[in-house]
Amino acid sequence: MALVNLTGIQAGDFTVLAEDQTPAEGATVAVPLSRLRDEGDDFFKVAGPVGAVLATDTNYTDLAPLMNKLAFVVIDFPAFGDGRGFSLAVRLRKDLGFKGEIRATGPVIPDQALFLLRAGFDTVEVSDAREAAFKAALKRFDTFYQTDYTGQVSLAHARHGKNQERKAS
Amino acid sequence: MYAYDKYDHALVNSRVAEFRDQVERRVKGELTEEEFRPLRLMNGLYLQLHAYMLRVAVPYGTLSADQMRTLAHIARKYDKGYGHFTTRQNIQYNWPKLSDTPDILQELADVEMHAIQTSGNCIRNVTTDQFAGATADEIADPRPYAELIRQWSSFHPEFSFLPRKFKIAITGADIDRAAVKWHDIGLVVKKNDAGEVGFEVLVGGGMGRTPVIAKTIRDFLPEKDLLSYLEAILRVYNEQGRRDNKYKARIKILVDALGADEYARQTEEEWQKIKDLPIDFPAEEAARIKAFFAPPPLQVLEDNVPAVDELAKKNFIFGAWLKNNTNQHKVPGHVNVTISLKPHGGIPGDATAEQMELVAALADEYSQGELRISHEQNLILPHVAKKDLPAIWTDLDEAGLGIPNAGLLTDMIACPGLDYCSLANARSIPLAQELGKRFDDFKRLQDIGPLKIKISGCINSCGHHHAGHIGILGVDRKGEENYQLLLGGSGAEDASKAAILGPGFDENGVIDAIEKVVAVYLGERTDGEEFLATYRRVGPDVFKEAVYGTR
Repeated sequence: MALVNLTGIQAGDFTVLAEDQTPAEGATVAVPLSRLRDEGDDFFKVAGPVGAVLATDTNYTDLAPLMNKLAFVVIDFPAFGDGRGFSLAVRLRKDLGFKGEIRATGPVIPDQALFLLRAGFDTVEVSDAREAAFKAALKRFDTFYQTDYTGQVSLAHARHGKNQERKAS
Repeated sequence: MYAYDKYDHALVNSRVAEFRDQVERRVKGELTEEEFRPLRLMNGLYLQLHAYMLRVAVPYGTLSADQMRTLAHIARKYDKGYGHFTTRQNIQYNWPKLSDTPDILQELADVEMHAIQTSGNCIRNVTTDQFAGATADEIADPRPYAELIRQWSSFHPEFSFLPRKFKIAITGADIDRAAVKWHDIGLVVKKNDAGEVGFEVLVGGGMGRTPVIAKTIRDFLPEKDLLSYLEAILRVYNEQGRRDNKYKARIKILVDALGADEYARQTEEEWQKIKDLPIDFPAEEAARIKAFFAPPPLQVLEDNVPAVDELAKKNFIFGAWLKNNTNQHKVPGHVNVTISLKPHGGIPGDATAEQMELVAALADEYSQGELRISHEQNLILPHVAKKDLPAIWTDLDEAGLGIPNAGLLTDMIACPGLDYCSLANARSIPLAQELGKRFDDFKRLQDIGPLKIKISGCINSCGHHHAGHIGILGVDRKGEENYQLLLGGSGAEDASKAAILGPGFDENGVIDAIEKVVAVYLGERTDGEEFLATYRRVGPDVFKEAVYGTR
């Protein structure tokens, strides 16, 4: 597998913790949300940086109590067409103010590279065979019709030199 | 009409380059069909029963004469000399070669066209009233909003992998010619008491195997809030819409499960969080886009044109065409002309390259170089001076396009059916052809009056049978094509779901049954009462008895 870095973030190097496995002291670990919700403060004290592995059907409101404990988040796509992963990343940035790394895993396709970036993902885990295609897809478009939650303002604003404005009410 | 700026051009050209690369990888075998499938579907390329089919977008059904000439050129150079206009105001080519499709997309891009948003589980092309910006009964031209939505929804980073396809329709007139209540989102342009423009917002309409009429979740949404409100609706749907069963994945199922009030509440809650962010178009952009749709400078002319009336008296066909195929324009002395693509015995919605070129020439001469496509699969010349009608009709008639049946029984919607489509259970085209032949009498059709027949070759309802005054649904019954008859649907502002009348028929049987239904109507109607009104007044029983006999 290869890791495509979309945003230039310092990407986390972690191991996914198996069921009932105790983290080594100070280790960077990714843990399924279902387990993380049951872990007490001790777990976070022993481990180093902790990340949550999220299914695409995760309700973002369930993450709110963990926000100040998570260093990174992994959103695992069961299929490339499961677009809930995009909204989940948007929720993390927009509603929860999450600033850490968001990584996509699973069978996402190169043609989604810019969508992933613009939805708030930092990194994507891809097969070695697809790494080049992913990187090429990132350069395919440089104009965007929509405002997103990563700082891109819509072409409708840019056309009129309005790059940061809030809406007049 | 909207004209691309350098940004729009750059986006569409980048898309063509991307697709050319994908096709090359597929042809070389670097991509399997399974891997290629989602990529081609994002570019309107389907694989049907016999060949690839390319669906080209005609955003909100408006195009120029030059664009129509390109469509004709593509039909001739890359297909079999014809194209098929669809119920979503688009055009389909049924026989393109895979290796040619990047070139086709480039030729389209050169005239500001594309195949984006014509397939896949994304926000599809926005559709609207074919007479938008031209009809007398309009509150405001809906096309600037359709264009703003087109841009906002193209390559949306969050909403390009929805549970299912997503269709938005908008009308600016009280008379709904865009079937907005049958869409995932329907928008009705309104003015409030202060004279400000806004939208009634409906959600959860749809056909398919579960027909549902959309429900209003907001009576008046200010113009400036359109896109942020749409974003809120879409986010709720993207997160909660079902993904376990494609037949339950449309927004109508979620709206039904939550209830329209709860859907409205969740939308409102999300919208409150985002409505002040720079999601919506700024006023300058709305003004820029509206300027492209400024009304053409038409002279006010006499509505009464003696030469037209004289020809109508002398020539019954022209008289019927004048009555059925013209719509009153905003500017006196002008009309919008419907060119019927429903010749009796022909294929509904098909046009040859030569016909497309003739229509383009007529548009240059008589309709400001502008054309429309209706969701009822006809072509429109907007902004026509009434005095030009005899000349236009004569040219059309020579090309087999002077058929005076707009809005009448033979102006049918029909899906491609089993002749082309891999989903179909039954053929639609031969049935439409036979129906046209059976009712090939314009005096009789005129006497029957407005009557909409809509034919689908399977339960996916591409032929809109749920919304037909008379709907026909093709099913497979033990390996035989069988046609169910439905009555009482409407796609207009008085939207209603058609109901199945009784057991199905074979092809001839269903045509005989329609004859009987029409005979009941003619016997029951009061003065000036149209078919749908009579059906609603007398109910299904008398029709049932005539079709199936007393049991």
